[in-house]
Amino acid sequence: MASFTINGQLVDVDADPRTPLLWVIREHLKLTGTKFGCGVGQCGACTVHVDGEATFSCLMTIAAVEGREITTIEGLAPDSDHPLQRAWIEEEVPQCGYCQSGQLMRAADLLARNSNPTREEIVAHMSTNICRCGTYNRIIRAVQRATRDV
Amino acid sequence: MSKQLENRGSFAPDRREFLKGIGGLTLVIGSTGLISACSRDQAEQMLAAQPREIEPNIWVTISSDDTVTIQFPATEMGQGSSTTLPLILADELDADWNNVVVETVSVHDEAYGNPFFQNMLYTAGSLTVQAYFEPLRRAGAQARKLLMQSAADVWDVSVGDLVTEPSAVVHPASGQRLRYGELVGLIEMPAPLPEVDDTDLKPYGTHRYLGTDMPRRDMPAKSNGTAEFGIDAQVPGMVYASVLRAPVEGEAPMEINDSAARAIDGVTDVVPLPWGVAVVAETYEASKWGKEALDVTWSQTSEFRNAELEADIEDYATRAEDLSQSGNTWRSAGDVEAAMEGAAEIVEATYRTDPAYHAQMEPMNATVNVTENGKAAEIWVSTQTQSLSILGAAEFLETTPDKITLHPMYIGGGYGRRTLRRQKYVEDALLVSKAIGKPVKVIWTREDDVKDGTFRNASAQCLRAGFDEDGQLVAWHHRVAAPRVLEYMNPPRWEAANGRDVIAMLGSESSRYDIPNFLAEHVITNRRSRVCAWRGVATSYTKFAAESFVDELAHARGVDPLEFRMELCRNNPRGRAVLEAVAEMADWARPRENTALGLALAGYSSTFAAGIAEVSVDAASGVVSVHNYWLAADAGYLLAPSNSEAQLEGNVIFGISNALRERIEIRGGQVVQSNFYDYPVLRMNEIPNIEVRAISTDYPPTGMGEIGLASTGAALANAVFAATGARVRHLPLTPARIQAAMQA
Repeated sequence: MASFTINGQLVDVDADPRTPLLWVIREHLKLTGTKFGCGVGQCGACTVHVDGEATFSCLMTIAAVEGREITTIEGLAPDSDHPLQRAWIEEEVPQCGYCQSGQLMRAADLLARNSNPTREEIVAHMSTNICRCGTYNRIIRAVQRATRDV
Repeated sequence: MSKQLENRGSFAPDRREFLKGIGGLTLVIGSTGLISACSRDQAEQMLAAQPREIEPNIWVTISSDDTVTIQFPATEMGQGSSTTLPLILADELDADWNNVVVETVSVHDEAYGNPFFQNMLYTAGSLTVQAYFEPLRRAGAQARKLLMQSAADVWDVSVGDLVTEPSAVVHPASGQRLRYGELVGLIEMPAPLPEVDDTDLKPYGTHRYLGTDMPRRDMPAKSNGTAEFGIDAQVPGMVYASVLRAPVEGEAPMEINDSAARAIDGVTDVVPLPWGVAVVAETYEASKWGKEALDVTWSQTSEFRNAELEADIEDYATRAEDLSQSGNTWRSAGDVEAAMEGAAEIVEATYRTDPAYHAQMEPMNATVNVTENGKAAEIWVSTQTQSLSILGAAEFLETTPDKITLHPMYIGGGYGRRTLRRQKYVEDALLVSKAIGKPVKVIWTREDDVKDGTFRNASAQCLRAGFDEDGQLVAWHHRVAAPRVLEYMNPPRWEAANGRDVIAMLGSESSRYDIPNFLAEHVITNRRSRVCAWRGVATSYTKFAAESFVDELAHARGVDPLEFRMELCRNNPRGRAVLEAVAEMADWARPRENTALGLALAGYSSTFAAGIAEVSVDAASGVVSVHNYWLAADAGYLLAPSNSEAQLEGNVIFGISNALRERIEIRGGQVVQSNFYDYPVLRMNEIPNIEVRAISTDYPPTGMGEIGLASTGAALANAVFAATGARVRHLPLTPARIQAAMQA
């Protein structure tokens, strides 16, 4: 059993304390916007915010998030209207789209701490996350656009 | 995005009453004759009480509420077809795009199938737009013609005096206007429906939507987490299964000690499979822990235990170079043998390519509910082919295709991985669900996905060129030693292919060049791993070899590689145009300090493209830095410019990643790599500056989803040669290979 807040709601989860947060989010709580990619912190598809910080949810157990605040793509902004989400649509970033929840959560973490990142800072921050379709340049453009819109 | 459809092949349009306006009087006419004459208002009230729709053809339904529903026969995996295909029809229909609903065809119905794939619903090979552009155009034009004719009847005017605006027919002379939804209520469905000819189609360049950047419809759902991929399926009562898979293809579990697995809280069943052992649990995590706790003894009899990548590629190379062994002809012109005999000079080189993994971001998975004692199933899966997912499952369950209900989902990366007839992830779930009588979700780990991957096959390719006494290239011989990939992917398709393995050979036709004596042949070798189409099909390796070889020939003749290719394209204006465009983009003639350029002309199917890489090479380490990549592509009449650029750019990244480092090794039949840490793909901080140009021409539109990849291997290898003088003939161009070539 673990208790934590997810997207503003307090939840009690009846699961083994060793369970990766990713699988609790996806299969216990049915918030499937957060994706499984590698299970070993290599691809970033599972990125969520834990107490506001971008975190690989595949590597964090639910025991480690007891009492903490989790935000997933579903809770990033009311009506999914985060400047980054608007920019993602305007720049048409996604191709297959599978990695993009993780990309958005990663980028939101950057903008929360640095409202005007340079291109180099964006690239350095985002290189934890893989996009096999190769949308990297549009991700950069969208982050820059969102920076202007914040 | 998907909606289960009725079988759409057998509908007949209802003969409904229609209204005809004569003066101020409105007549409501039924199939039995005149029903009543009434005011227009009364008639409209009668009609409003009964929403109705017309289906002028299998592709489109128009409803009296103005909704236009368009059937989408492909699958959406990031290439944008779920917007572009319906847009083609909507444009010719002159429908208001905001009123268009797109439905994915989810039954195996050859009426919707792709003629390039035996009328299967099959999304691959960049052949979706190429296959469906004309049928969808004509379907839209036919529906528009029907609506215009109906309006002409209503107003008693000539159809030639009418025009359309989005979802409305207008009579400019009188200012009368009827929405398509209104016309649906008034229409008399003629039998037969009007035929369309070319004059009913909008000429290229006059489309309302095509050629503009209409927003892709899948963007919002892919930016807020609501897009449903296969792995996201949630079915009431479902359980989870993880499968411990045999370490080598062809092996089976001999002894299973599952006591530790069964002791894990939540584990409910252990199900032996022909190729592994499934652990079933109430949660995914319990199934995975149960799988990890299994102790299985495997059979030791598989022929694949002898598979060793290095030795196997050397065997392939020996066969490629042995001219006494003829292969299956892929493309032939003139008489290569005679031309080589008469040649003043023959140049020969052999290239090798390692296997490559798709590395699609969504690991293989399937959710299945088997019912009717194992003779029916409902399947949720990310698939590139509705038809083969249905037919393959039906064959596996020994039932009929109508017993399979498919829910196609968004695809977390396809690249060819999801095109096989036998989809092992689906079969895992079919067997487990059948055994336990419940719906089950099977999720492969990334390690499962790599170890049980279906790879781009290894190849060895021997290229020979013959020059006459004037230095003209008169003979070209391209021998591709590779297994029968198509046979493994889809045996019935291979049987119908007359020995022509498009998956192994595409690109080796080198059809852009004018060479009088030409032979490309498939020297068939043993399959030494699971294999499958990969992004760009075979072009990522056939074009690596062919365009590296062209570069070698140019340097051997002392001719600039651009000029050499321009001369070979003397009868091919589209080839020359993309070469000129990319040369201009890269400023080809400008000398560089410390960096060097490499060029490749690499078309794909019916699309033309050329790429130039700018690299520097660290002599001490052999590490390549890619600074710039330029790409020009001509896929005919350009339907979606911005999306095309995104596809080109993504393909360049995919291709550079592959060409520099991606490599699957097979040792003792086992896949050495496991995950992204030992199969690293390009990250954001590793990409070069990329400039792409999608050129619109007056040719029929063709594919854009893979063309950007075909040039990358050779352009990089040619740039490495230009930078170092070292010719690397083995893909990927690893630092060790570059160092070895520099020292040779």
